[in-house]
Amino acid sequence: MKNSVKSNKLDYLLAAPTLIWLTIFFLVPYLIVLIYGFLTPDIFDVKFEFNLDAYRQLLDGTYFRPFLLSVRLAITTTLLCILIAYPVAYLIARASDKVKNTLLILIIIPFWTNLIIRIFSWRIFLSYNGVMNNILMRIGLISQPLEIMRTDLAVIMVMVYVYLPYMILPLYSVLEKLDFTLLQAAMDLGATEVKAFFKITLPLSLEGIFAGVLLVFIPSLGTYLIPQLVGDQRSLYVGQVITYKIKNIPRNWPMASALSFGLLVLVAFFLLLGYILLRKSKVRGVV
Amino acid sequence: MKRFSRAKFFKGMNLTVFTFAMLFLYIPILILVIYSFNDARIVTSWKGFTLKYYGQLFHNVAIRQAFLNTMLIAVLSTVISTLLGLLTALGLENKKLKGRKGFMGLLYAPLVMPDILMGVSLALLFNFLRVNTGMWTVLIAHITFCVSYTVIVIQSRLEGFDNSLIEAAMDLGAKPSTTFFKVKLPLIMPGVIAAALLSFTLSIDDFIITFFTSGRGFDTLPIYVEGTIRRGTITTINALSTLVIGFTLLLVVFTKRIRKSLISSF
Repeated sequence: MKNSVKSNKLDYLLAAPTLIWLTIFFLVPYLIVLIYGFLTPDIFDVKFEFNLDAYRQLLDGTYFRPFLLSVRLAITTTLLCILIAYPVAYLIARASDKVKNTLLILIIIPFWTNLIIRIFSWRIFLSYNGVMNNILMRIGLISQPLEIMRTDLAVIMVMVYVYLPYMILPLYSVLEKLDFTLLQAAMDLGATEVKAFFKITLPLSLEGIFAGVLLVFIPSLGTYLIPQLVGDQRSLYVGQVITYKIKNIPRNWPMASALSFGLLVLVAFFLLLGYILLRKSKVRGVV
Repeated sequence: MKRFSRAKFFKGMNLTVFTFAMLFLYIPILILVIYSFNDARIVTSWKGFTLKYYGQLFHNVAIRQAFLNTMLIAVLSTVISTLLGLLTALGLENKKLKGRKGFMGLLYAPLVMPDILMGVSLALLFNFLRVNTGMWTVLIAHITFCVSYTVIVIQSRLEGFDNSLIEAAMDLGAKPSTTFFKVKLPLIMPGVIAAALLSFTLSIDDFIITFFTSGRGFDTLPIYVEGTIRRGTITTINALSTLVIGFTLLLVVFTKRIRKSLISSF
């Protein structure tokens, strides 16, 4: 009995440094974001005077469009990632052990190459007189170069490119554990592949899809770098607007704070929605 | 017969998507490598083979400094966040700990937060505290986004841990400290290595959080690269990227240990 009390104390001590660290550098900063939203903007900094302008502008629709664009982009990216990642994860999960490891490494290697550098090479690939246009024109598929750089299409392509591995890996990890004899059994009982897939494989992989959506959809909401490097600069996403308000002079930190708070609320809303949906599917016994 | 052909169709479809996905993932990397040897000022046309950008790379003081900064931050943040992660994972092994659930929530929250929010909130914190941004603020930021990952990776290794080994060591008269360092630590080492690798990767790759927490005069490689792209001088970046990619490939292909840790970290 005494021993367990002692070990509890030790365990608290072990966990405490990280707990304190995250409180100071993760939780408290959000409190400051909340406070800064109610201050008065200054050219370089903020004035510590109460001001409701930022939140008024957040709610009156001035910044509705960047939010809408970001949500639309996050949804499109997530759906495309699921569509591409599912067959890939399925194929890897059903491969022999040796092939499996090689394929996994192939998926992981791009992770190890700098993100900016990879986005940058997409610019070389997609630009007006870039590699893709050159190839397509040489094989005669197009006669005029396609203008893809600096469009929404370019943003979506690069978003899917960057986030695809984050969807493949969690899907793979559930599909790998899936008992494929269940499928065989279903088909022996007369189910078609399509039916077996929708009745067995898909429901059993819902948890992986959920994890993938979490890893793709939520970060996509705040994306800055990709639209900044390949997107149309006339339609700004939330991440870009926030960054401009923080970095560009005249700065408007209260607005950036209010927008960040708006984004935080949006993230919380989608997380809650996802949680409820997952619980519901569990209750129904699908997962 | 019909069923057989349909199964084949599905397999074919999967294979097609897979090939497409692989092309998709590797085309940009391939282009960079090819164009780093291209003797032309404009990247879009091929003018012959050259190594001059690699030469320029080694004479570029700004790149060297940015590289050193990146490594410094990566090593320090990896060591600190792995250590923090190890301690926390060991503490949280105790499932009866009060407030454990809340703490786990706090640990998972940074994982699902868009990077930009962490960047903005830390930037405002440092402004509020009137701290000059630079190496220290970047280091703090990197530890903050790495530590959740290290805890979770090490935790997943601890979950499969066979506690009877500890009991056996104790029964044989080993002191708790000896048991920990001679039995437990070696057994969870693969998890610790995976955690360290992951946090190193996250650190050298981060742009956005560093962008918000580094002041003028402290550039990491991603920050430097982004600035260079913005100014339009990109030829040396191609060479730099090729070196990074080559280094990565060598590491992954030739070190079985790293490969295994990598796979187990996902």
